[in-house]
Amino acid sequence: MTATAPSIADPYRQRFAEFLANRREPDSLTGLRRAAFARFESLGLPTRRQEAWRSTDLGPLQAVAWNLPTTAPVEVGSLPDLGQAAHRLVFVNGRYAPALSQGPALPDGVTVTRLSQAAASQTTLVESSLDQAPGLDRHPFAALNAAFWEDGAFVHLPRGAVLETPIHLIFVATGHDALIHPRLLAVLEDGAQATVVVEYRGQGRYLNAPVAELTIGDGAVLHYHQIQDESPQAFHLGAIGLRQGRDSQAQAHLFADGGQVTRTDLTALLDGEGAHCALDGLTLGHDSQYGDFHVRVEHAYPHGTSEQLFKSVLDGKAQAMFDGMIHVRPHAQKSDARQLSRNLLLSRQAQAHSIPRLEILADDVKCGHGSSTGFLDPDAEFYLRARGIPASAARALLVYAFANDNLNRIGLTPLRERLGQVLADRLALLDGDAR
Amino acid sequence: MLEIRNLHVTVEGREILQGIDLTIGPGEVHAIMGPNGSGKSTLANVIAGREGYTVTAGEVLFQGKNLLEMPPEVRACEGLFLAFQYPVEIPGVANLYFLKAAVNAVRKYRGEPPVDAMDFWDLIHERMELVKMDESMLKRSVNEGFSGGEKKRNEVFQMAVLQPYFAVLDETDSGLDIDALKVVADGVNALRNAERGFLVITHYQRLLDYIVPDVVHVLVNGRIARSGSKELALELEEQGYALYNEEPGRARRAAA
Repeated sequence: MTATAPSIADPYRQRFAEFLANRREPDSLTGLRRAAFARFESLGLPTRRQEAWRSTDLGPLQAVAWNLPTTAPVEVGSLPDLGQAAHRLVFVNGRYAPALSQGPALPDGVTVTRLSQAAASQTTLVESSLDQAPGLDRHPFAALNAAFWEDGAFVHLPRGAVLETPIHLIFVATGHDALIHPRLLAVLEDGAQATVVVEYRGQGRYLNAPVAELTIGDGAVLHYHQIQDESPQAFHLGAIGLRQGRDSQAQAHLFADGGQVTRTDLTALLDGEGAHCALDGLTLGHDSQYGDFHVRVEHAYPHGTSEQLFKSVLDGKAQAMFDGMIHVRPHAQKSDARQLSRNLLLSRQAQAHSIPRLEILADDVKCGHGSSTGFLDPDAEFYLRARGIPASAARALLVYAFANDNLNRIGLTPLRERLGQVLADRLALLDGDAR
Repeated sequence: MLEIRNLHVTVEGREILQGIDLTIGPGEVHAIMGPNGSGKSTLANVIAGREGYTVTAGEVLFQGKNLLEMPPEVRACEGLFLAFQYPVEIPGVANLYFLKAAVNAVRKYRGEPPVDAMDFWDLIHERMELVKMDESMLKRSVNEGFSGGEKKRNEVFQMAVLQPYFAVLDETDSGLDIDALKVVADGVNALRNAERGFLVITHYQRLLDYIVPDVVHVLVNGRIARSGSKELALELEEQGYALYNEEPGRARRAAA
C-alpha cells in the first residue's frame, strides 16, 4: 500500500507549484507554505498502516485526479441562514465572496475579516498565530491546508471583548474534483467571548480539507459550532485545533450530515489551570457514508474539566467511527474528564465503531468513558404504538429522542431548530401537529 | 364489546393460552386472577398486539371488529388501552410531548383535527389531579427515573387522558403500597361509566377491594377454570389456587 501513496503526493507537488506561481503575498507567508508542504511530504498521505488512519479508507479518494479549484464564476444556490443577525462571511471554493457576506458593525477592536486580508494588514499577528494550534503538526491534510489555503476567516477579539452577535462562516464548494482548503484562525484574548458557526456544504465531487484554529486566552469563552453538510460525493477531511487558557470555557458542537467519506480530527489542549471544554458530535449516516470523529483532549494543567458526547444515527450501510483520547499529563492533577459515545443503528448493515483511549499520567484525577451501540428498543417502540402512534412515527420519535440531548446543547435557538428539522426530515418524522 | 372465542396462543412453540372464552360488555369490569405463569400477561399482550405471540386458533372481536388483524396502533386508535405491567422508560421523550403525540395520533385516525393547545392543557391538568400527579412529571422523560408507583400512576394518567373505550390493566397493582394503590384505583373508578369496559388482571385480591369487579375469572394453565362474582376473589385469597390443580409456572417457563 505504501507504494500507492506517492502516486497522489506527486500530483500535489505539481499542484503546489501551480498554486505558488499565482500567489502575491509576503515572502514570509510563502515561506510558511513551503514549510507546511515539506511537512506534508514528510508525513505523506495517510495509509491504513498508520494507527491514526487505520479506520479511514481513503482508497476512493486516491482514484481521483484532483485539481485546484476553478477560477470561473459559479452559482452557489441558496445559503443557510442562522435565523438571527450574524457577521456572515461566505467563501466559495475557498475564495471570499464579498457579495454574499454581510454583517452589522463590529465593536471597537474586534476583527472579523478574511484571512488573506488580515495576513496583509496584521501580518505579525497572523504569521505568529498561524499553524500553531494543537494537533495540526501530525495531520497530513492540515499540512496540505497550511500549504494551499487561499483564504478563510480571521477572527480576533481583544482582551475582554464580548461579541454578542454570532459569527457565521459558510464554506461552499462546487465540485469539479477540486481541492479546497478553507481556513479559520480565531484568537480570543483573555476574557473575550464569541460564538462561531462554521458551515460546510457543496455540490458535486470535491475534497475539502478545512482547518480551524481556535485559541482562547485566560477566562475566555468560545462557542464553536460546525455543520458539515457536504455533497453526497464529497470528501471532507478536516482538523480543528483548540488551545485554551486558564479558566477558559469552550464548547464545540459538531454536526455531520453529508459527504461520502468525512472525518474531523479535533484536538483540545487545556493549556491552563481550570480550563473547561465540552465537545459533542452527532453523525447522521445513510447509504454508504463513512463519518469519523477523532478527538483528543489533552489535560496539561490541574483542575481542568472536559466532557465528550459523540453520537451517531446510522441507516443503510453507513459507518461511523469515534476515536476519542483523553490524555492527562503528569502534573494535571484534579483533572476531571468524561467521554461518552453512543450509536444507534437503524439497519442491520450499518456499523459503528468506538475506540475510547485513556492515557492518564497523573494520579489524582477522575476519568470516565462509556460506549454503547444498539438498535431501537422494540419495547419502547411497542409502548408508543400501544398509545396509537404509528410504527414509523414511533421509530422516528425514538431516534429524535436519542439525538435530542446533543441538539439541546446548542444555545442558538434558530440553529438548534434548523438542525432538529434536518434530523426530522431525515426521518420523515411525526406529523407537524404532534410536535 | 370485547369477545374472546376459543383463543389459543403459543410462545416459541409452547401453548400458553389453551382456549380462552371471555365476553365483556360495555360498562363491565372483569377481573382475571391466577397464579404466576398462568397466562394472564400473555392474554393482555395478545389483546394489545405485542409481537412474539402466535395465535393458533380462535378470535378476538373488539366492538365487532377483528382485533387480531390490526397493528397495535390501530387497536389503540380504535379505543383499546393497555396499562403495562412494566411501563417502558423512554429517555429523551418528554411525557407531555408523548401524550400530545398519542392524543393527536388517535384524533387523526378518527378524522379529527389536532387538539387545541388550550383544551389539551385543561384536560391534562384535570386528569393530573385525578391521579395526584405532579406537574413536574410532564416535563420529565416518559417513565425515566420514575418510582414504581409513579410509573403505574403514569399509566392510569395516560388512560385518563386518552379516554379509551376499553382498558386492560395488567398487574397495575403489583409493587404498590396501599396509598399508591388507592390513587390508582380512584383513577380507574373515576373513569368507570356505562360505556367503558375494563379487564383488570391481578395477582392479588387486594386491588379488588378498591376496584370492585362485576365478574371474576380464575385463569389456570391457560384456561379459565372458574368464573363468578366478586366473592370468588375472596375465596381465592383464602384457599389459593391449589384447588385448580395447577401446573405452576407453565407460561413463565415457556417465556424463559
